[in-house]
Amino acid sequence: MTSPSSGEAVAKSSPGGLGWLLEQRVLLSIAVLAVLPWLLPSQALAVNVLIYGVVVMGYNLLFGYTGLLSFGQAAFFGAGAYFTGIAIGRYGVPWFAAVPIAVGLSTCLAAAIGIVSTRTRGIYFSMVTLALAQLVYYVALQASSFTGGENGLRGFTVDRISLFGLQVNFLDPVNKYYVLMIFAALAMWFQSRILNSPFGAVIEAIRENEQRARACGYDVERSKLIVFMLSGAISSLGGCMLALHLSIVPLDILHYQTSGMIVMMVLLGGARSFFGPFVGAASFLILEDVISLWTPHWQIFVGAIFVLFVLFLPKGIWGTLLDVLGIGKARQ
Amino acid sequence: MSGELLRAEGIGKRFGGFVALEGITVSFAAGQLTSIIGPNGAGKSTFFNILSGALTPTSGKLHFRGRELNGLPQHRFVHQGISRSYQITNIFPDLSVHENVRVAAQALTVSYDIWRNRARLTELNARADAALDAVGLLGKRAELAKFLSHGQQRALEIAIALVSEPELLLLDEPTAGMGPEETKDMVALLERLADKRTVLLVEHKMKMVLGLSRRVVVLHHGRLLADGAPDEIRSNPEVRRVYLGQSEGYG
Amino acid sequence: MDLSLIIMQLLSGIALGAVLVITALGLTIVFGMLGVVNFAHGALFMIGAYAGLYLASLTGSFWWGLLLAPILIGAFGMLIEFVLIRRLYGRSIDDPLLLTFGLSYVLVEGVRIVFGSDGIPFPTPPQLIGVLDLGIGFFPRYRLFVIALVAVVLLVLWLTLEKTRVGLIVRAGARDPTIMQVLGVDIGRVWLAIFGLGVGLAALGGVLAGPMRSVNPEMGSLVLAEAFVVTVIGGLGSIVGAVVAGLMVGISISMVALFAPEMATIVMFALMAVVLLIRPQGLFGVRGRTA
Repeated sequence: MTSPSSGEAVAKSSPGGLGWLLEQRVLLSIAVLAVLPWLLPSQALAVNVLIYGVVVMGYNLLFGYTGLLSFGQAAFFGAGAYFTGIAIGRYGVPWFAAVPIAVGLSTCLAAAIGIVSTRTRGIYFSMVTLALAQLVYYVALQASSFTGGENGLRGFTVDRISLFGLQVNFLDPVNKYYVLMIFAALAMWFQSRILNSPFGAVIEAIRENEQRARACGYDVERSKLIVFMLSGAISSLGGCMLALHLSIVPLDILHYQTSGMIVMMVLLGGARSFFGPFVGAASFLILEDVISLWTPHWQIFVGAIFVLFVLFLPKGIWGTLLDVLGIGKARQ
Repeated sequence: MSGELLRAEGIGKRFGGFVALEGITVSFAAGQLTSIIGPNGAGKSTFFNILSGALTPTSGKLHFRGRELNGLPQHRFVHQGISRSYQITNIFPDLSVHENVRVAAQALTVSYDIWRNRARLTELNARADAALDAVGLLGKRAELAKFLSHGQQRALEIAIALVSEPELLLLDEPTAGMGPEETKDMVALLERLADKRTVLLVEHKMKMVLGLSRRVVVLHHGRLLADGAPDEIRSNPEVRRVYLGQSEGYG
Repeated sequence: MDLSLIIMQLLSGIALGAVLVITALGLTIVFGMLGVVNFAHGALFMIGAYAGLYLASLTGSFWWGLLLAPILIGAFGMLIEFVLIRRLYGRSIDDPLLLTFGLSYVLVEGVRIVFGSDGIPFPTPPQLIGVLDLGIGFFPRYRLFVIALVAVVLLVLWLTLEKTRVGLIVRAGARDPTIMQVLGVDIGRVWLAIFGLGVGLAALGGVLAGPMRSVNPEMGSLVLAEAFVVTVIGGLGSIVGAVVAGLMVGISISMVALFAPEMATIVMFALMAVVLLIRPQGLFGVRGRTA
């Protein structure tokens, strides 16, 4: 979904069809995700696509739409997971309260990292976000009484949840998938609103031409900080989903390799497109699954494929597909 | 239509040891078109960047409608009512023509709103279209800005500056790189703009400037060389000396 | 706590910092000239350590490994520039970063395939085993050697940059690539050489670090983060900055390890955050350079 398209498609259509048109990309995405468990070879894979899709979607707000290449998104993915686990396991907070608390705290972390990193520009930003996220990694490693250190966080399991008075067995993979899908749907709806909002236009303007955006009257640094926090918030929700799904939080979730994986996913799928992050997460995870069947060294292929994408297919699978089909104008 | 809008008092700017501007004191009244001219390196661009907040002067004061502007960050200048265009085309290439202008229009009101649907902010859309209409680009509104011709991009550049309804419009060489036909269209546009608002123009094309402006300010080596009506400037011996041999400057 | 212990720890910090300086220098020189941040720098550091180890066991001498590994890996770096990175000039500044990131995956996994995933001990050369009595305490000979060698390399680099025609071209080119075209210098060849030099320095850092840390496929990832921190503190593209910041980080880590070992890795990141809040362009960086 590029902004010219959204602006255009909308401005021309009647106010009645307008709301419907806008909700369409969210609704279509939800529809695809709803049948995903039957399209993919395993339930586990589908849940991972859902979780990483949300994380990468949040990251796309920062990288795809604002043009800020962060190598530290794992900090917020991990923070969401750790805060959820700690809230449930250590403080006995019920899961439905733990999730918003975790997202809130992760957003505060994003504010702290954002204040330092958004002061820098260009390539500096990538290096600084990587370094600050590594700082979070080492803090989690050292604060082992809270986080479990190297062994990861354990000791919280959500097995039954009550949903609108309905007791749901959360250990059942199908139930789990659809409960988590509610989170994903909420995240997509929120992201879509941001993209359609005036602020959504500001971030695209900053990506296109920072100097001119400033001359137009925008406080570029403040806008970057805001989008950094929004992006962190959405990615942290993916972390909450992961914690609920796995019932453990591995320390590796905070490592910059995870940040790198998020970057790979968004590029494979297609930065700057609404559904691209889910396509990217699915492609990456399927690649990993398929290649690791016949060699433990799947990373060498994933790395090589990524290099080829940077060289020859910078718009990713979904972005290129939309271009080829000529729906760049009214991108879903 | 009268009264002082902008006053520069002893403006100076140094870059390390290099003095780009020194002791510029000049004031601009509301409602007329004034041009700033001077040979290359005269300090026009530096002066313009100071007036639009992109650079902070090393000395001197800026007053706009009686308010001191010193220390104000660049992005606040638009909010004060000063808007500018750029000498090099400086647009949002991958956004539509309409969106280029609309995003500039919303800066004064709803910049940080993450909730409302911007397509439904009809007043902003209408203002963007009005600005596009004013520069003759309404027919191209749906195209990506990068696909416009050079002349059209220059016009878009002005529409972006215009849409914030500035009290003072700063235009940096709006005809730069244009052919004769495109220049003619642009001059007509500038004349229309000058009817309604205060315009400050930096230009290289002397003949055009003298025909268009009510007042001309000449900079040379970072200092104010002359200031007056086009006829006075034309006959000013100092100005003639500075521009002597620069025949293309008159083109 | 007595003074001699602190001085010994300070020396340790300088030795640690010396390896950081060499590694970060490679990163910063490449950025200064090519505007490229090489994400595979840590992986190439690791490959340098493996190459040094392999060549040392092949020739039976650490010294051959120390000499040949940087040259060979530097040549490999030139190949990377020529085949991959060259295609990205003129595209977004992010693209080389992304490409080299993917490349680091390939390199690390490649080493796992060839040498296995487990760490390998890197024997200290026999001449440098043991400690030296400095009067106030004993200090490992190998670490003193590392400090001395890095000092020599820095001196040679500095003389080359300041006193030779090659250095002049490099310094001019870092400021404005069009100058080189005016001078009739083939920019492509200069870029190739600089990238090779940068990668060679990473490999040299890897060989030097070998006997101080264990050699394993993951060793590059911490080094990359450290090198990023050093270049950000020093100012991207600044050679003096890399030297000062590298020593600063090495000494800080070493000193903090003395008082609060669990904070040792954390302190450099905190240092970077503080520097950025005060000077976003780094200690010796030029504002707007990275725009």
